[in-house]
Amino acid sequence: MMLAQDGPALGIFTAGSVAAFFALLVICGLVYMMIQRARAGLKIPEIRKIAGLEAIDEAIGRATEMGRPVHFTPGLGDPYNIQTIASYAMLGHVAKRCAQYDTRLLQTNVDPFVLAINNEVIRQAYLEAGRPDAFNPDDITFHSTEQFAYAASVLGLYERERPAANIMFGAFWAESMLFAEGGAYLGSIQIGATANTHQIAFFVAACDYTLIGEEMFAASAYLSKEPVLTGTVVGQDWARIGVFALIILGTILAQIGDTNWLATILKK
Amino acid sequence: MRKEFPMLLTVVAALTVILSQFFFHIAEWNLMDVLDKWLNVMWGIAIGLGIVNLSVVHGKKIMRRAPGFYNSVVLLAILYVYAILGLWTTTQGYYHAWIFDNVYAPLDSTVFGLVAFFITTAAYRAFKVRTWEATVMLLAGMILLLGSAPIGEAIWADWAHLRQWFLDIPNAAGMRGIVLGIYLGGFATALRVMLGLERAWMGAMGGR
Repeated sequence: MMLAQDGPALGIFTAGSVAAFFALLVICGLVYMMIQRARAGLKIPEIRKIAGLEAIDEAIGRATEMGRPVHFTPGLGDPYNIQTIASYAMLGHVAKRCAQYDTRLLQTNVDPFVLAINNEVIRQAYLEAGRPDAFNPDDITFHSTEQFAYAASVLGLYERERPAANIMFGAFWAESMLFAEGGAYLGSIQIGATANTHQIAFFVAACDYTLIGEEMFAASAYLSKEPVLTGTVVGQDWARIGVFALIILGTILAQIGDTNWLATILKK
Repeated sequence: MRKEFPMLLTVVAALTVILSQFFFHIAEWNLMDVLDKWLNVMWGIAIGLGIVNLSVVHGKKIMRRAPGFYNSVVLLAILYVYAILGLWTTTQGYYHAWIFDNVYAPLDSTVFGLVAFFITTAAYRAFKVRTWEATVMLLAGMILLLGSAPIGEAIWADWAHLRQWFLDIPNAAGMRGIVLGIYLGGFATALRVMLGLERAWMGAMGGR
């Protein structure tokens, strides 16, 4: 957090946050514009095909055919971690499919807050699938708040329940390798998604499909196919183009040896 | 009201954080500290939820003598005995600290140690030269390994420099591209939650 004792910049802003504030306004404006376009029924670009998201239904279908459960973990993130927040939509989709296919869903948690939220997400998904009777709260489990105690417990669950599909979607640290490799030993179809860059390589090495970074944040829009949600992803892409333009400008300025003014503006 | 009230709370909390981040005079109110304290209180309550869940799930296993129910007996016994010991002697108490240092810590390290073996088997599968991407991964992995291990320097003195170049230029460039996308994607997700477009966290499906 910016320190208040640094003194206000331009009279009202915390030190170093002026450029970030205006960047925030621009990005919000772009996203809002795309949402309005979508609401007005105007054409907005589609999201490209994401193999990892396409494979979700295939993985659940395979688990159904094999008569084995699906395992879903949102990782170690707090409930307010943006990756965990993105995982709720994916969990809802997975739970709905499991309810429709009558496949058991094992959902493990490291955080008691996330446990309570996931319980509600899954309950609602079963309700929407018209299968509230199939909802089993005992399959939504808290294991431990400790990273490796949780990992050991989940590996034990793998051995006992032998899930045919393993969906890891959220914030992961060193336990990612334990989960992904443990699932690989069982021959599960594995889909890994995380924005923790230090763990992406492990998922790429051990999983059948990996959602790299931002792809996980597009999941809710991609799966729901709702134009308004897709509009937010398109707005985000326009913001990316703006950032790339800034990077190119910075690179050119660095080549001609004049970067001070741009750096000064961005650090304001 | 079941959906509207949580939405209102979300928007107020999010605006509090955002405004405290950007505006000097609001930052002076230290609202973030207040939110942190509330969060700590809620965390204490949520831990109770976790313990209830563990007790119910494993209690049912014990009651119906499910296969491996004795593991559940051990788990619940340890959970409650250790919790009571902590409340009685505090976490600095001799027996509580002894169990932590001599039982929990070695077990924790052992599970972490498994990562090394799992990395090896995963790397073996990933590095099999089946596609050109796997070949690139294999070559990059070899260069980094040789640049880090003493044998690499014995073969060619500049392996370490080549390794560093790989880390500083191609790796850093790719990683920053991914990180940039992550921040923008995370921001768009936060905005969807604030605008009420994404309500899966409330148990509402279909993104609405």
